Amino acid sequence: MRQGAYHIIPCGDDALRILCGDGDIRYQIARQLGSCDAWPEIIPGKSDLTVAFDPHMETMDAAIDRVREALLAGVGVSTHIPRRIELEARFGGGEGPDLAAMAERLGESETRVIEAIEASQLHVDMLGFTPGFAYLAGLGPALISERLRHPRARVAAGSIGLITGQIGLYALDGPGGWPIIGRVTTSLFNRLDADPFLLRPGDEVVILRSAAA
Amino acid sequence: MSLRVLDPGIQCTVQAAARDGLRHAGVPACGPADPVSMALANRLVGKPVAAPCLEITFGPACFRFESRTQIALTGARATARVGGVERPFHTTISLKAGDMLELGPASAGARIYLAVSGDLPADPFLGSASTYLPAGFGGHEGRALRKGDHLRIASMDGLPQLETPHALRLPVSASYALRAVEGPDWPPGTHRLTNAVYRVTPRLSRMGAEIDGDFPSFPDAGPKPSAAVFPGTLQVTPQGRGFLLLPDGQTTGGYRHLLQVIRADRHLMGQLRPGDSLRFLMCTQDQAEAALRAKQVLLETWMPDFRL
Repeated sequence: MRQGAYHIIPCGDDALRILCGDGDIRYQIARQLGSCDAWPEIIPGKSDLTVAFDPHMETMDAAIDRVREALLAGVGVSTHIPRRIELEARFGGGEGPDLAAMAERLGESETRVIEAIEASQLHVDMLGFTPGFAYLAGLGPALISERLRHPRARVAAGSIGLITGQIGLYALDGPGGWPIIGRVTTSLFNRLDADPFLLRPGDEVVILRSAAA
Repeated sequence: MSLRVLDPGIQCTVQAAARDGLRHAGVPACGPADPVSMALANRLVGKPVAAPCLEITFGPACFRFESRTQIALTGARATARVGGVERPFHTTISLKAGDMLELGPASAGARIYLAVSGDLPADPFLGSASTYLPAGFGGHEGRALRKGDHLRIASMDGLPQLETPHALRLPVSASYALRAVEGPDWPPGTHRLTNAVYRVTPRLSRMGAEIDGDFPSFPDAGPKPSAAVFPGTLQVTPQGRGFLLLPDGQTTGGYRHLLQVIRADRHLMGQLRPGDSLRFLMCTQDQAEAALRAKQVLLETWMPDFRL
């Protein structure tokens, strides 16, 4: 489908939604809009992209037209190569309190679970829920895991959560409902940066055991 | 010069500008739940409309000012006493060193804004000094104020005595009508919402308010892919419960996005309290634009630097 042909719908009276599906196109369009025009917010969802505009400056119709023009101008294969980020992590123990139970339920050793994660080509599907929380897609369906029945009031920054098919990385300390299997040692957050979260939608991610572990 | 917190009430935080431009990273708007009231308070003490202010939830609350200063109060309906003498909201109030400000419990509305003439200290973080409690950043050490906290504020008085024009004193009541446009998941052919009355439940925080009432049902009840949500988004769960998101609300969600309170009326959400009745007046995009323009023009007459 040509980019200009996506269905665009209002999302309230000061945002619009591009129904572009769940592929990499979300990140391409986000980059394209982010580079050519000032939009207050550009937010990838699981299967769309939502763009806020300033209703003091333009109407919904004008904003939709402006998005369409930007999409048409940017048609074509993106030359952007996704960033590839390797994260080091420690698994199990106090930093991954739910790993042992998960492995036992799966009938696998902890090592096999960790190896399955290391072998996964993950990518950041979106960020959300809490500041910097990254949803990583690309985990095989074999690691079956459900949200905790009782969410934790506090999960440490860097914690690696796992529910079937997805890894969730906590950039900051905060509440969390995903089983925690380890913690990355790479800092996911630098408060002095303008965009202080390491991960961005579209990044490719590999999680490897820390050499120091 | 300093301000001592003798009783912060249920929750008292430092709020300032919204934290914009980082929703793609999961960072919510933050900032005052009722930005119009906060701006009006700042206006009375000669501050920029988004200067750091105290947002006091419900009251009662009590503060002592340790040198001469000027303050202003706006927002929820409550009594204010200085040295036992009642003082009005919506005016510049001059205080002597040692004066104690006692705020009674709010009888309508949820949030009182206290602006002071000297600068309130607040940690700038991700482009704003507003407190975000769930992650513990911004404001005063990233947390709500506690009894005994001591905020150092620059000494500043001699400001003219001002009063908020009556046309700008927005009514605080127990019954709200919020204008809204259809959300992305509005079921086609639905009309009955317009006349339904909803109620705010006790599940209320700066993240959102649970809303009880009769919501339309959705043909496909299963979860849907997470997508962006905003302050003013009304989500409906598969069990038929409504959640109206406020400034600290999450940035994405997988529940049905039934409607969106229009930009012009979102400030009113900050005064919702448990038990309040609520109606949603559905409007068109054109009506939403006109409403925003009209309210903006009115507010600009008194606060040229304010943007809804």
